[in-house]
Amino acid sequence: MNPVRRFFDGLHPHVSPGGKYEKLYAFYESIETVFFAPLERTRRLPAVRDSLDVKRYMFLVIVALIPHLCFGIYNAGYFARMASGLSLAPVPVVLTGLWLVMPMVIVTYVVGFFWEILFATIRKHEISEGLFVTCMLFPLTLPPATPLWQVALGISFGIVIGKEIFGGTGRNFLNPALTARAFLYFAYPVSLSGDNVWSVLVGGAERYVDGYTAATPLSVAASTTDGQTVEAALEALGYSPLELFFGLYPGSVGGTTTFLSIVGAIFMIVLGIASWRTILGGVLGVLATAYFLNFIAGPDSMPFLSLNPYYHLLIGGSAFALVYMTTDPVSGTHMNGVKWFYGFMCGLLTVLIRVFNPAFPEGVGLAILFMNCFNPLLDYIEVKIRTRRRVPNV
Amino acid sequence: MALNLPRQHLRRMKKIRNRKGYDLNISGAPSDALATLSVPATVAALPERIPFIKPRLRVKTGDPVQVGSILYEDKTDPRIVFASPGGGVVGDIVFGPRRVIREIVIALDQEETAVTFPALTETDLDGISRDDLVARLLEGGVWPLLRELPFRKIASPDSRPPSIIVPLDAREPFRPSPERYLTEETHPLFVFGLNVLKRLSDKLIVFTDPRRKGICRTFKNELTHTIEGRYPADDPGVLLYHLRRGPEDNRAWFIDGQDLLLLAGFLRRGTLPTERLFVVGGSGVAERQHVRSRLGAPLKHLVLAEPACPEPRYVVGGVLRGYRGNPEGHAGLYETAVNVLPEATERDFLNLFRPGFNKPTRSRTFVSAIKNVPMAMDTNVNGGRRACIACGYCSDVCPVDILPQMTLKSILAEEVEEYLAHGLLDCVECGLCSYVCPSKIELVETFRQTKFEYHKEQVS
Repeated sequence: MNPVRRFFDGLHPHVSPGGKYEKLYAFYESIETVFFAPLERTRRLPAVRDSLDVKRYMFLVIVALIPHLCFGIYNAGYFARMASGLSLAPVPVVLTGLWLVMPMVIVTYVVGFFWEILFATIRKHEISEGLFVTCMLFPLTLPPATPLWQVALGISFGIVIGKEIFGGTGRNFLNPALTARAFLYFAYPVSLSGDNVWSVLVGGAERYVDGYTAATPLSVAASTTDGQTVEAALEALGYSPLELFFGLYPGSVGGTTTFLSIVGAIFMIVLGIASWRTILGGVLGVLATAYFLNFIAGPDSMPFLSLNPYYHLLIGGSAFALVYMTTDPVSGTHMNGVKWFYGFMCGLLTVLIRVFNPAFPEGVGLAILFMNCFNPLLDYIEVKIRTRRRVPNV
Repeated sequence: MALNLPRQHLRRMKKIRNRKGYDLNISGAPSDALATLSVPATVAALPERIPFIKPRLRVKTGDPVQVGSILYEDKTDPRIVFASPGGGVVGDIVFGPRRVIREIVIALDQEETAVTFPALTETDLDGISRDDLVARLLEGGVWPLLRELPFRKIASPDSRPPSIIVPLDAREPFRPSPERYLTEETHPLFVFGLNVLKRLSDKLIVFTDPRRKGICRTFKNELTHTIEGRYPADDPGVLLYHLRRGPEDNRAWFIDGQDLLLLAGFLRRGTLPTERLFVVGGSGVAERQHVRSRLGAPLKHLVLAEPACPEPRYVVGGVLRGYRGNPEGHAGLYETAVNVLPEATERDFLNLFRPGFNKPTRSRTFVSAIKNVPMAMDTNVNGGRRACIACGYCSDVCPVDILPQMTLKSILAEEVEEYLAHGLLDCVECGLCSYVCPSKIELVETFRQTKFEYHKEQVS
C-alpha cells in the first residue's frame, strides 16, 4: 500500500467524529485531498463529471504565483544586502531573501488556515481552496520589512472581515488579500509606506549605506519637480525601463515584476482560469487614462502627468494587481461583458490615484477594492439587459 | 399531401448554427453494427419514468394482456392511457417508496395476440377529423409519445400546438444514430407519420445535423431545418430557442424520430408495433452496438456481454441525461439507449500535481485538453463540493443562454419572477452545466426540480 495512504489512514480515526482531534477534520480533509483525489460517485444527473475541480483551479493560480515568490525572495534579499553594504553574491542573497520572506509566508498560511478551519468546522463544510491563493497573494503585496505580527493581523482581517463574515469563499464581494493589505495600510501606515520599508537592514547594519537610494520608482515619480521628466529622474537613480520591466527595484515582495506578471497572465489565460477581458480592460484603462493625462498636461503641470503611459505598467504593483487581483473570479464581475468595464475602471482609478492623490503613492489596490463594491451592480445591469432580450417563457 | 413538396422546398431548408454546447470526449462509442436480439422472457412498462403523471393501474398481477392492452392511465386525465408493450400475463408489479409504481412486468407468451384497431390508409387520413385522430391515438395508448415543451410532459389532447418538432439527430453520448432506423425502407411510414402530425398542428419542423448526409439525402423533402453545432443541438428545445419569435411559440410539441415511426405504424397497421432500436454503449461494456429488440426490454437482455468492469453502472439513456437503471429492471417507454459506465473506485495519487494526460475535461487545465481523443469516464464527481466561484463555465456551455450561476442564486433566493425571466423554463436539461462545474454544484438537478415545482403550482 502507498505509504502516504497508510499515513492518512492512520490519522483518519483521530479526526473522524468522536476522535480526539475531530475539530481538525476540515484541515485533514483539505490536505488529504491534495494527495489523493476525492472519491464520490454521482447520484444525480449527469452520471459523468468534468475532471476539473476548484482545488486544481486554485492550485494552478498558485503555480502562476510561485515564480513571483522566488523572484521576491531574490529581490528582497538583494536590496536588503545592498542597503546594508553586504556582498551581493547569489547564494547569500537568496539566503537573506528566504530569511526575510519565508517567515511572512508561513505566518500568513498558519494564521489563514487557523481562521479557515475555525469557520469550516463551525459551518461544517470543507475548506475552500480560495484560501491557498489569498495566503499566497497577501505576502507578495507587502514590503519585506513588515513585522510578522502585522502580517498575522492583516491576514486575519482579510480572511475574517473580507471573506468569512459573508459566508466564505464564493460569497465575499471584496478581494480578501487586498482587504488585508488595505487594512494594514490604514492601520499601520508607518510600516507600509514611506521610503524606508522596502529595503530591510540586515547583518547588523543600522542605516542604509551611503549612496543607496531607497526611494521606490513610484515615490520618485510623485516627487519629481518641474523642469525634469519622470523618466529622466528614474534613469538618474538607476531605474532603467528594462530594470523596471523585470522588477529589479525595492518594492513589495513579489509585486514589482511586470515581466513575470505577463508570463503569469499568459499562463492563466491559456489555461482559462483568468479572464482576459478583465486583464486587457485593466491595461487599456491604465494606458488610456495616462494618455489622456499626457494630453491635458501643460508646460506648468507636474511632470507625473506627462509620464510615458507604459511606465504606469512598469512601476509599482499595477501589473501584478491587474493580473492576479482583478481576476479573482468571486470579487470580480461575474458577467463577461462588464468585465471590460470593471478592468478599465480599475486601470483608470489606479492612474488617477497615483497622479492626483498625494496621500497614496500606489493606487491599484484601492482602485480594485473600490470597483469590487460596484461589481454586484454591474452584474445586475448586464443580467437585466440580457434577460430583456429573451423571448419570455412563462 | 402538402408535405411532399418539390424542389423549392429543399431550397427553403433553413440552416441554424448553435454556437454553445459541448461534445464530450468520452470513449465507449457503439459501432454501427445492428444485431437483432431474440425475444426476451419479459417486457415492462415503467410508470415511474413518465414525468408529471399520476398513474392508476388498470391491471393486476396474473391478468392476461395483449399487445396494446391498457396497463395504466393517468389519474389527472384518464383519457391518457398506456399500452402494453407485450402480450402474455402480468407478472410482478414493482412498487418503490411511497407506493410509486416502478415496473409493470409482462411475462410474454408464445403467440402474443394484439389489440386490433382499424388500419388507417393515407386516404383515410384525409377523411378523418382531427378530433377522431386524437381520439384514436389516445385510445391506442400511443398519445404519450407526443410531448410538450417546456416541461416535456405528455402533450395536452385539448390544445393545438404552435408547432411540432421532430428531431432526427443524436448528439448525446450515446444514442442510436438515426441512420439505423430511418432508411429507404421506413421512409414511406415516416412520411405517413408526418402527415399525421400535419393534422395535429399547422407547423411542422423536421431537423437534423447537416453532417448526417444519409438523412439529408433520403429525407430531403421532409426536412425543414438543419442545425449545426455541438450537443445538445439535437434537442427540440434548442431548435425552438433559435426559431421562436414570440411567447406563443413556446408550447411546441415534439416527438422523437423512432417514436414517430411507432405512432405511424400503429395507425397504419392498427396494432401497436413493439420493436425498438436500442444502442448499447459506454466504456464499461466490451460489446457496443445497435440492437433491435422490444419496447420495454430488460436491460440485462440488451447488454449482451458481461460488463467489462468490476462495478458497472447501467445508465438508461445517454450519459448526460440518462438515469441510473437497475440492472435487473427494464427500459422505459421513451428509452433508446443503455450505457454501461465503470463506477468510480480509485483515488488517484497526486492527481493535483500531474499534467493529466487522460483526464477528460472541457477546461484547459489538463494536458488532455490538447488531444482530441475519446477518454474513458467513470462516475466520479471528481472533486469536493464548493460554493460557486463564478468561473462562468456553465454559462459558456448553456445552449439556450441561461446564466446558470445567476439563475441558481435566484432559485435559492426563491425569486420566482427573476428565474423565470432568466429563462429557467427554456432549460433543455442537457446536464452540461453540472458537467462542467468545478464546484460540483448540482445545477441541472436544481433546475429540473424547480421546473417541476413550478409546474405543480401552475396546475393546482
